[in-house]
Amino acid sequence: MESVTVTEATTGIEPIPSYRPDEKTRRYDRQLRLWASAGQKSLEQARILLIGADATGCQALKNLVLPGISHFTVISDATVRPRDIATNFFLVPDSMGLSTAEETTRHLKELNPSVEGCSRQADPLQLLKDEPDFFLSFTMILSVNSPPELDLALSDLIWSASENESMTPDISLITVRNSGFVGKMRVQYRQHCIVDTHPDSTHTLRLDRPFQELKDFALGLDINDMDSMEHSHIPYVILLVRALERFKAAGNAEVTYDNMDAFKGTLLTERRALDEENFEEAESQAFRVASKTEIPENIKALFASSQCENVSSSSRNFWLLVHALKQYTSLPQSENLLPISASLPDMKASTTDYVHLQNLYKNKANGDLRAFKECVKTTLSSVGLDEDAIDDEEVVNFVKNCHSLHCIDGRSLRQEYETDVRKELIANELSNGMHMNYYLGFEACERFYTQNKRWPISEDDTTSIMEIIVPPLLSEVAGASDNELAESAVKEIIRGGFGCLPTTSAFIGGVVAQEAIKLITAQYVPLDNTCIIDLVKSTLEKFRL
Amino acid sequence: MPDRSIISPYLLPDPSESAEEIAQRAATRIAYIKLAPEDKYVDVDRVLDVKGPFADEAFQGGNEAKQFLRNVCKVLVIGAGGLGCEILQNLALMGFNDIHVIDMDTIDISNLNRQFLFRESDVGKSKAVVAAAFIMNRVPGVKVTPYHGKIQDHDETYYSQFQLIVCGLDSIEARRWINATLVQMVDPEDADTVKPLIDGGTEGFKGQARVIIPTVTSCYECSIDMLTPPTTFPICTIANTPRLPEHCIEWASVLEWPKHFKDKKLDNDDPDHIEWLYQKALSRAQEFKIEGVTWSLTQGVVKNIIPAIASTNAIIAASCCNEAFKIATTSNPYLDNYMMYVGNDSLYTFTFEHEKRPECPVCGGETIEFEVKKDTKLERVVEMLTERQDMQIKKPSLSGPNGPLFFQAPKQLYEATKANLEKTVGEILQEGDQLNVTDRALPFTLTLRIKFVA
Repeated sequence: MESVTVTEATTGIEPIPSYRPDEKTRRYDRQLRLWASAGQKSLEQARILLIGADATGCQALKNLVLPGISHFTVISDATVRPRDIATNFFLVPDSMGLSTAEETTRHLKELNPSVEGCSRQADPLQLLKDEPDFFLSFTMILSVNSPPELDLALSDLIWSASENESMTPDISLITVRNSGFVGKMRVQYRQHCIVDTHPDSTHTLRLDRPFQELKDFALGLDINDMDSMEHSHIPYVILLVRALERFKAAGNAEVTYDNMDAFKGTLLTERRALDEENFEEAESQAFRVASKTEIPENIKALFASSQCENVSSSSRNFWLLVHALKQYTSLPQSENLLPISASLPDMKASTTDYVHLQNLYKNKANGDLRAFKECVKTTLSSVGLDEDAIDDEEVVNFVKNCHSLHCIDGRSLRQEYETDVRKELIANELSNGMHMNYYLGFEACERFYTQNKRWPISEDDTTSIMEIIVPPLLSEVAGASDNELAESAVKEIIRGGFGCLPTTSAFIGGVVAQEAIKLITAQYVPLDNTCIIDLVKSTLEKFRL
Repeated sequence: MPDRSIISPYLLPDPSESAEEIAQRAATRIAYIKLAPEDKYVDVDRVLDVKGPFADEAFQGGNEAKQFLRNVCKVLVIGAGGLGCEILQNLALMGFNDIHVIDMDTIDISNLNRQFLFRESDVGKSKAVVAAAFIMNRVPGVKVTPYHGKIQDHDETYYSQFQLIVCGLDSIEARRWINATLVQMVDPEDADTVKPLIDGGTEGFKGQARVIIPTVTSCYECSIDMLTPPTTFPICTIANTPRLPEHCIEWASVLEWPKHFKDKKLDNDDPDHIEWLYQKALSRAQEFKIEGVTWSLTQGVVKNIIPAIASTNAIIAASCCNEAFKIATTSNPYLDNYMMYVGNDSLYTFTFEHEKRPECPVCGGETIEFEVKKDTKLERVVEMLTERQDMQIKKPSLSGPNGPLFFQAPKQLYEATKANLEKTVGEILQEGDQLNVTDRALPFTLTLRIKFVA
């Protein structure tokens, strides 16, 4: 073949074809490969409120402006001091004496021209009293290094706003506190439902109970007539289905881990040569025949929940679809299983066999999808909604991910403080590393703040916390246990002077943004609900409090 | 416009600024620089003035640490990309005032979702140069010296001027090179020749940060077997039995491109080249009824694109710089020596001490024993080496005690040695012989000791 220039060989003179990415897709390419256009769409609708425009808050917001949220507002009544410029990358010498909210907003907006940014120079606590509705106009609120009473008031407001399912969407609240090398972060949402959790594998091969079409195809192959090339390219899925049939014909009820060796023996009776890689694959995948296909426990738990039982026209789509899914599993054609997945892992196979096998799974999945869609219609009509009230795309995506659905019931800050749930956890964890000590250390410092209207910063403050605040706190939260709060935790926190160490701020800003993205896109599994960050030892620990 | 070099060489003009505004900005900048450190660096000073409960016994804190951090310590940042931008920001804010940065890349539009020191108008410019200018403009008092080029352009004299090296690279080869160079530089008699290397890496919601004290802790080469092997597809699958869209794309780039364009090299960044591959892959996929070939996938496979987001880079870069700060100031113990961060399923870190590998070809003393059957052909030995997790090489050349056994290049040497591929190990080597392996990915010669097995 003659050598040609690339321009000659490509469509250089024609206009750029539409399948080529546009500028926006190119800008976001590296993140679209994670959360795809669906996730991006959610991000581009997100409105974020930042309370506390310090280094930590601005770093968190930076990591959200860059991937392209719709809007952010920064609230602060502070004016810029030299020490703020020294730690906050989004302030400059020119900002000195000006409004922190305005100055940080100006510099954050430069990161992405498609993001809208506003500032509001106000005392957030006062604004909360005067204009609570303002706070409810956001998708998410980040409250960074705010006074404890503000965090609690915000938490109460948001929590009660989403009391009924039908009320305004569940606004998430991320609260952060940091001092020196340590920090804590807490995420509040009433309920977070995830369809696309990005599990490691999405295949459901059902090799323990192959569906009819798969069985027909596998058993119908005349493998004796095959040449050695064809024989060594029979996909392992087919080999296992055939082996299972022979194994059963020989009087075995099923394949278990106990009779696995015998089953592998049966499998290998069809092998012609020792170097047939497809048989090697089949042997290594034989365990799949012994693992029982059934409805996963996490999905059964969803089926059992009252939100699945009692759907109504105000239920979220997630629960309407879970309800329909449960209906589906009682259809005879479902064999009491979830819809099958259309995806097939790669395996040693000829192209024709592989594509044929892929189509068998795809057709089966399409049939399951049709039946599921009927259940969706029935569910929707039964609660008085239009049959097509849920977007087709959403239904398809739900079925595709129905094996790894996830739902987390969150807890409010008030619940954390006022119920006994945390008692046992604290009692168990205090003697188990530093993280719980930092958690309680922060709470002790917060009580100090509430009493003194300032953060503890000196050795005297440390002493007064250890002697006056800690004993009643411990007896209140750690119950009868003889645990002590490590003084070193309080010392390390106070050492930081409740200021922002730029690396700690950047670290926490990254963690906050990751969690925010997971919540906004409703993809991946977010934190539930508290995380202690220890950059003395470079470790973190999470607790459900 | 006024001559800005008079005002400050580091001040970046904004196109919308008037001469007066620039002068005003320069004045406030100078006023800020002249402020007493205790008026500005309140938050960083706290952890230097107050000794923490976990700080080293030797921690003196106070002025000594500040002096070293702000006036003595010279840091090298390798990479001005996703991690590099964050690293530069953090180091500057922590008080490292003399920073050098190396990067050979230019800015692409796909960098802008995370490389926050760059704007659309910077596309096509040098990353190192733009990043350095941005930092100096934004953080008064910091000097950042850029170098637009490769790390291999410099020798030991260059690297010995730094006290710390922080790496934010996406290339394994470059990491192996800098690691081997720094280990080689160590003179056991002179503690100053030990240059701590702090290395970060990310992929999607996951990442890792580690501290390497050359010859003291495990080095990058010690953990080379922890890398996930790159997805490769057997040539016979690509050529004969494609099943996945990726197989069709590999077919287009590996087999078809060289056939059509002879000596013309494929340029992954040229959209016309990607277009050609995409069309080729698509038509092959249609022929075989394979679904899923898209432009984006084509680009992803050909360029081996790793998903990357600002937040993960922020976490890992912050961790790297936190360790750099702790090493420079002894304000707290530094990481010993590896932290993994996983954020896709809730979040967790795994912090542990990765141990030195005694047979590490860079920092270990022991030779790797290579077990092989006498009747194995040399061709198979070459293949076996490329399959080794602990070597990570693709096209090794081999020499024995009597000279070259097989060389991939140059052409004459290849021609002269290729006949050996058909010979067995027993014919050309003895038990205990040293087999020297070189490879493009290896910044050193790997020495193996032959051991015959039954």
